[in-house]
Amino acid sequence: MSQQTQHRHALEIINLSIALPNGVRLLRDVSLKLEPGEVRALVGESGAGKSMIGKTVLGILPDTLKITQGEIILEGQHLNMMTPWTRRKTVAEITALIPQDPLTALNPLRKIGPQIVDPLIRIRGWEKDRARARALELLERVHIRAPERVMQSYPHELSGGMRQRILIAAAFAPSPRLIVADEPTTALDVTVQKEILKLIRELQKETGTAVLFVTHDMGVVAKISQQVTVLFAGKVMEDAPTREVFTNPAHPYTRALIAATPSSADLDRPFSPVPTELIAELHAQVARDDALWQGKKR
Amino acid sequence: MADVTASPRSRAGQGLNLRLWLPLTWIVILICAAVFAPLVAPQDPLMQDLMMERLPPFFMDGSEPGFWLGTDSLGRDVLSRMIYGARIALFVSVIAATTTCLFGSALGLLAGYYGGWWDRVISRLVDIWMAFPPVLFAVLLVAVMGTGLTSVIAAIALIDWTRFARVIRAETMVQARMDYVDSARIGGARRLATLVTEILPNVLPTIIALLMLEMGIAIIVEAILSFVNLSISSDDPTWGSMIAEGRGAIHFAWWVLLFPLIALFFSVLSFSTLGEGLKKRFDPVLQ
Repeated sequence: MSQQTQHRHALEIINLSIALPNGVRLLRDVSLKLEPGEVRALVGESGAGKSMIGKTVLGILPDTLKITQGEIILEGQHLNMMTPWTRRKTVAEITALIPQDPLTALNPLRKIGPQIVDPLIRIRGWEKDRARARALELLERVHIRAPERVMQSYPHELSGGMRQRILIAAAFAPSPRLIVADEPTTALDVTVQKEILKLIRELQKETGTAVLFVTHDMGVVAKISQQVTVLFAGKVMEDAPTREVFTNPAHPYTRALIAATPSSADLDRPFSPVPTELIAELHAQVARDDALWQGKKR
Repeated sequence: MADVTASPRSRAGQGLNLRLWLPLTWIVILICAAVFAPLVAPQDPLMQDLMMERLPPFFMDGSEPGFWLGTDSLGRDVLSRMIYGARIALFVSVIAATTTCLFGSALGLLAGYYGGWWDRVISRLVDIWMAFPPVLFAVLLVAVMGTGLTSVIAAIALIDWTRFARVIRAETMVQARMDYVDSARIGGARRLATLVTEILPNVLPTIIALLMLEMGIAIIVEAILSFVNLSISSDDPTWGSMIAEGRGAIHFAWWVLLFPLIALFFSVLSFSTLGEGLKKRFDPVLQ
């Protein structure tokens, strides 16, 4: 017990399963750990359940999806055992989100300023002036020119890249200890993507915040993370340090994913998508496991 | 050349303004007429004079000075009755529409955002409510509660809240799925606070448009109810009772029916156009 308090994971997920109301499982026994200050990438194709894991941690899962088993432990605190309101407060205290789509993640009818400042007042209990100063500091840090003016603007007056930088500033402003980055570069064009990625990495290094980085892009994984969890159909395929995954991938699916990532270093290499036979075989495997699991349940 | 390219834009801007200003002008005229009725009305709206019955309006032969829009079958001045009628029409439309709006929108917001049982109960209630034919329902309600303005207002609120509940529920559901609502929740905002600070402002333009539309509808419903003599007493001047009164004499004294009808028409049109215009004004994205 004393050992556990000495070494607390920023986030620990144990055997998490999530199902639709009809019993179909979308996440299957997912476990992962995130150390303080570590960046863990969560990769997989769309529908693999990677975003769902982030949403479950943050408590914004749609009402129709049910957690059928498993535990989520945030800095040693079991979220499942809390009342909804203490859970809400704990999540707000520790975590923040960098969302996928900067176009819908800011309220179109509210000015930028209050959208960054209000949570600081609410979560940290700061005075308005202090919260404002902190917001300005972060906006400057993410290279927003004329941050005073931007705070007075409405979201539609700003570009997508700018909005994503604002969202990064908003996420880091309350000094969270865990940030869930849910495909923060997917909705942006490539030149902006690079800049955003660099910003997140810099800020992460400066603040030592742990980051759960959800992405489908192996190139991004290589650039940002120390650890990787590879998901397929809601199941963990591989969980290893990033370097190892790239030099010596253990799972055939990981190998196929890496092979499918185009690289500018050798443009002559033909594009090789993940083989359909492999996908079919993996699906069959998942179905067998599910049948086994159904049998055990009865 | 520059002129040619600039003109369509300025014309479009003007069109938008007109759609806001024309209805606003009519409504301001209406409000002034209602508030200053004793000062503006040329005659006493209740004064009968059987020697002066069915006088034509001023532009026709046989008209009398001072009776600009003619008189009805009891010799009462049509213009004066219309001006006093505006009082009742506006009073009913403002009070009834506001009540309806508050009640219906609150239920719509709750159903749309909280979902689950809230949504099930409220949606079923709306379904049941909408199965009644509205005018019949209104007539029935007023018949039970007794005639009078309070009954008319209550009837309108009890019938029309479903319009708000339905539309606002759908709109709230769309907004509730937006990422910024999730962000607010992650930032530790309470559910009710999220509903009020994040969702309500986004739904407000729709609420305002609906409120304006409802004001027009309330005027119509009041007119319908006074047409069938279920509003206030038939002596009191309302547009509905004037239309009912003029109906019998339409072939030889059309003015008794036509002028209140025009007032009714423009009022309803103005309210709904103003609603659309305001919706655009309130939405910085559409601007």
